[in-house]
Amino acid sequence: MTNSVSEIADADCILVIGSNTTSSHPLVAARVFVAKQKGAKLIVADPRRIPLASEADLYVRQNLGTDVALLNGIMNVIIENGWADDAFVSERTENFEAFKETVSQYPPEKASEITGVAAEDIIRIAEYYSKAEAATILYCMGITQHTTGVDNVKSLANLAMLTGQIGRPSTGVNPLRGQNNVQGACDMGALPNVYPGYQAVTMLDNQQKFESAWGARLSDQMGLTLPDMLSGLLDGSVRALYVMGENPVQSDPDTRHVQKALEAAELLVVQDIFLTPTAELAHVVLPGASYAEKDGTFTNTERRVLRVRKSIDPVGDSRPDWEIIQEISNRFGYAMSFDSPEAIMEEIRTVTPSYGGITYERLEGEGIQWPCPDVDHPGTPYLHKETFARGKGLFHAIEYQPPAEIVDEEFPFWLTTGRLYAHYHTATMTRNSPTLDTEVKEGFLEISPQDAEMLGVGPGEVVKVGSRRGEISAKTMVTDRVAKGLVFMPFHFLESNPNVLTNPAHDPIAKIPEFKVCAVKLEKAA
Amino acid sequence: MIKTVQERVKALLDSGEIAGFLGLKEAGGHIGPHLFTPEENGLDGLVLGDWKGPGDARYTLNKQLIHLARAYPDETFGVLVRGCDERGLKSLYVWNQLSPEKVVPVGIACPPELAKACECSKPYPDALVAGEKGEGCAQETLKQVEALGLADRFGYWQKEFDRCIKCYGCRDVCPMCFCKECSLEDPDLVNTGDVPPDNPTFHLTRAVHMAGRCIDCGLCNEVCPVGIPLRTLYKKVADIIDEEFGYRTGQAADEKSPLNILAGAS
Amino acid sequence: MDYKTVLTTCPYCGCGCNFYLEVLDGKILAPIPCKTSPTNEGKLCIKGWNAHEFIQSPNRLTGPLVRKNGELVAVSWDEALDYTVSRLKEIKDSHGGDSIAFFSSAKVTNEENYLLQKFARAGIGTNSVDHCARL
Ligand code: SF4
Ligand code: SF4
Ligand code: SF4
Repeated sequence: MTNSVSEIADADCILVIGSNTTSSHPLVAARVFVAKQKGAKLIVADPRRIPLASEADLYVRQNLGTDVALLNGIMNVIIENGWADDAFVSERTENFEAFKETVSQYPPEKASEITGVAAEDIIRIAEYYSKAEAATILYCMGITQHTTGVDNVKSLANLAMLTGQIGRPSTGVNPLRGQNNVQGACDMGALPNVYPGYQAVTMLDNQQKFESAWGARLSDQMGLTLPDMLSGLLDGSVRALYVMGENPVQSDPDTRHVQKALEAAELLVVQDIFLTPTAELAHVVLPGASYAEKDGTFTNTERRVLRVRKSIDPVGDSRPDWEIIQEISNRFGYAMSFDSPEAIMEEIRTVTPSYGGITYERLEGEGIQWPCPDVDHPGTPYLHKETFARGKGLFHAIEYQPPAEIVDEEFPFWLTTGRLYAHYHTATMTRNSPTLDTEVKEGFLEISPQDAEMLGVGPGEVVKVGSRRGEISAKTMVTDRVAKGLVFMPFHFLESNPNVLTNPAHDPIAKIPEFKVCAVKLEKAA
Repeated sequence: MIKTVQERVKALLDSGEIAGFLGLKEAGGHIGPHLFTPEENGLDGLVLGDWKGPGDARYTLNKQLIHLARAYPDETFGVLVRGCDERGLKSLYVWNQLSPEKVVPVGIACPPELAKACECSKPYPDALVAGEKGEGCAQETLKQVEALGLADRFGYWQKEFDRCIKCYGCRDVCPMCFCKECSLEDPDLVNTGDVPPDNPTFHLTRAVHMAGRCIDCGLCNEVCPVGIPLRTLYKKVADIIDEEFGYRTGQAADEKSPLNILAGAS
Repeated sequence: MDYKTVLTTCPYCGCGCNFYLEVLDGKILAPIPCKTSPTNEGKLCIKGWNAHEFIQSPNRLTGPLVRKNGELVAVSWDEALDYTVSRLKEIKDSHGGDSIAFFSSAKVTNEENYLLQKFARAGIGTNSVDHCARL
């Protein structure tokens, strides 16, 4: 996030787009409610009528995958009415003219046609957002899990720059990170293109710096992303895969393709706390320890580094993951001799500039938000105060592009996927928690009353759901939360896993699969 | 105030009267529950639960006390109490969740500003060790809500309940929620699998269960992530029980709740 | 009697709520939301309130497994580690470091992510390390 969670409570306008905040980020939603109570305008834009919609001053239901058109329409109105922050645009940004040219092609009537959102509503969003003293944008996977995910995010950045709603408290463009330590995994360089602290592996300076820090020759070749690793397994360019704490069989699009890829591995090592469907395919399964059995840190969505502390000994013969990796590395012949996670953090801060001032001692209390370059630095609650990371903020001229797969006669329904309040990701942990398991025991398909009637299915009856990639069945939940023509499924449940259906087509830059849109057919089960 | 409490706790621990003192400790920049034991060196970090304002770092120590008492029924424990916590203790004795011979309450009084914020009927415990006994306060918030007409009042509560994210925090934090099976999780009473939960069934089910049980500590209100004024709702329930049965929860340690007697429960 | 409350961070979503885990004689009883935490100010969602349950699930993996004749069988740590390392060496020797890839995790700690990518890069010699950021 560019800003802190607590700042949301003081915003005057909140635009929530592609985030089912009350289910996926409840404690962020809590701040939205506080702001609302203090008089903030709340705008919710989501193809599904999520619970937050009933609290909103304005709820709009855009067609799946039309966010760029919606945002261009909003920005068109802002420019036409002179609601832009001209001073901010001229002092702090560049490439405005090209951007303006593109946006001028999206008058509200045209945006309305693409998105299904009324032109008046587009105008109202533009007005609420641009006229607010401090307006903030909250978004999540509903924005990123598209073939146009990067375009969507850039469009949100355009909107914030156009109105100067960034670089101050309670403003900004705020991605809500889905998993507890996604932020940290990225910060630590668990990415194929960067070392810790987002230092590109292809830059010689960085390579040399890490070679001397780690005492080893390093590759100057960019590594493979997850989807490329899977195709590499199938074409033989990748032979071994080491999986720590992930469950790609269930979490990745097109399950059958993932299974085939993993089965092709000469060596599949899975380190986890449960025997997940991925672990069941492994040659070696190594039992890791849970968060309660080890020390360490997580970095939350607002870049705050927080302590994890050991409460009990590892269960059975399991071991903390850092100990397992260190042991493997030593046996492999690359020596590591950390005696604690704290010792690892001491090394992290010497090679990661944004973590330079982060020590376990300083993490007592409220934690620290990076960037924190040295031990005297207090940390950074919000980013881009005086300048953007690259100097001037760059406007991007972005055209609307439809999703990779669109409905047709054979597959006439849109399917979108998401999370439920009581479960988490592939539900390995939550379904092993009796209370959460009881709360929601099985998956389901949300379908509109009109469509249910047309198919002749009642609530709780079973339908077959098929896409170009596979078929599953699920019980229906008949609800007007989804519009006619749209169905929704949570992806937590292996028995009715919509990722058998989802489209692995992904964003060309971020490689994020289009989980949020695919075309399906529905049929009442015999 | 803290000195008086420290002296009292030290005396209890030194004399061997208690096996441990369940209180609050400030460590590493945070305040949380802590069991002070004779084996520990002194009472370093012992605090009374005031962080940025009075009483804003209170915890349900009685709940933790029940955990300890269940595992170590023969031991006696000291526990830090305010007026509301003591009301809780008395009710827990009545419901046989704790036994009075095994608990030594160390009481502190709340300052007038906290009593006012809580609209508390008795902001100090009988087992007072430190602090000044203050006046009870009137139920202004409840009066305001009651001043609304029936339809408006119903609309008000519906709107509040609509925000519920079904965290069950109001129940999980409650010192008086000790049932093994909870009606809120009974699929015949409340829907599962969706938020917000049935409105108003979920909340009224809990409210009915708090009748004769709620000790008005307000911790449910503090724990609710979406700011539903639960305390006001349960204050109303408590008033009804008072009017109908002349019973106030937690005033006496030997008087069973009328609902307890009606249900024939133990 | 060994009773303690240990302050830690929720393993579920990116909010990063803090709670104390209440531990009695080596068994975790319940989370207690931390009132003084800036992220959650004494509140939690349903996942946080139950974040202790899966830890003590009977389904937890309690020892290493290696596939033999098609079945995963329990083995000692030494055997599992030696097997893993010797296979990694063989594959690296015959196909090069880039034939080995790593999925790291958004569920483990920063320190563990750091160590895995360090092993991939400095030990194996590949930049093929990624995680579920996009899922
Ligand atoms: S209800 Fe409030 S004022 Fe009354 S005793 Fe409890 S904390 Fe003190
Ligand atoms: S604490 Fe609030 S949000 Fe949670 S279940 Fe209770 S009323 Fe609902
Ligand atoms: S308690 Fe809920 S909101 Fe808080 S970090 Fe855990 S999952 Fe997220």
